[in-house]
Amino acid sequence: MIPKKLDLKDSQIESPDLLPKIERRKFLKMGFAVTGLLAGGKILSLLSIANKSFAFSKEQYPYKPHYSMLIYQNRCIDCELCLEACIKTNNVPTYGYRTNILHRKVSMAVDQQVEFIPVLCNQCNRPPCVTGCPTKATYKDSKNGIVMMNYKKCIGCKTCMTACPYNARYYNEEIRSVDKCDFCYTNRLSKGLTTTACSEACPAKVRIFGDLSNPGSELYQMIHQVEKTVWVIRPESGAAPNVFYTRG
Amino acid sequence: MKKLKILLLTLMLLTGLYFLLTTKSSLAEQGGNEDLIIYTKPVKAVSFNHKAHSEDYGISCNICHDKIFQMEALNVEKKDDFNHKSFSKGKYCGVCHDGKKGFAMDRQCTRCHIGVKGLNKISKR
Repeated sequence: MIPKKLDLKDSQIESPDLLPKIERRKFLKMGFAVTGLLAGGKILSLLSIANKSFAFSKEQYPYKPHYSMLIYQNRCIDCELCLEACIKTNNVPTYGYRTNILHRKVSMAVDQQVEFIPVLCNQCNRPPCVTGCPTKATYKDSKNGIVMMNYKKCIGCKTCMTACPYNARYYNEEIRSVDKCDFCYTNRLSKGLTTTACSEACPAKVRIFGDLSNPGSELYQMIHQVEKTVWVIRPESGAAPNVFYTRG
Repeated sequence: MKKLKILLLTLMLLTGLYFLLTTKSSLAEQGGNEDLIIYTKPVKAVSFNHKAHSEDYGISCNICHDKIFQMEALNVEKKDDFNHKSFSKGKYCGVCHDGKKGFAMDRQCTRCHIGVKGLNKISKR
């Protein structure tokens, strides 16, 4: 069979340079949806677009509990008590990290010139690290959706580290395996505790950990509202992350 | 007689200069550099610009010293209630930073909180 000739005019260009443009277009669409909402439109029109970037859909959750984290970005003061708690709980070596705090200068601001941004594994619904792993050493837990590591299977090829859009993995030389945040599943959640070490240690209530499938949780209520903007980091990766950011 | 007067005057000047230098250096030792006092308790780290408060804003010394803060820098860290809870009740920084006299303390956290990153930056200097 003769293959059909490619029509380059109609094909979608998949260059990484164009990704932000696509995102911008999506954002504009979102803006229209919100306008529609204010003019008496349907709330569903907003959520249907949000679903493309976010890991959830209003009707159903892939996991139960669907562990997730909401980060109040403007509350972070970089005291790093979360990092200390994480290192202590999960035996993280000095050269590694499971969570980190980034900072950026806000030159446009009049008063507050610096912003701190806590980052960790986003426990994506479509995790590129899992797709990339050749030995299935990293996998998505079928019950709670946490991206887990099976240290025995890891061959240290670091494909997952390259694939991760959030730079959330490091190679642990002591255990000869890649290590990452597991929402403290191994050391806390599986032992009956309900929060992660970082969110418990935070004095400014920056990190809200919870079950996104529980409508009674603060997490659910903050993410399912339209007054305050909630966003994810690098939505263009298409990984459908489960760590959300907001201000307030 | 004139010689004695000059001698006394220089002696006084020298002692004055000595005190000025020693107090400045002690503030520098305790607080990072000459203008800033860096608090590391109860959290790392908060920067207080002493020079800006005393010189630029024209707040006279007796408004803070000795009733709210002792002269010795960082001495207040020893107190258990040196935290935001007390501030909102109008203690310590909260005496002025109530949203009227000074900016409020329930937002724009990083105006004072420089974090561990800010602390490392200053100690490297």
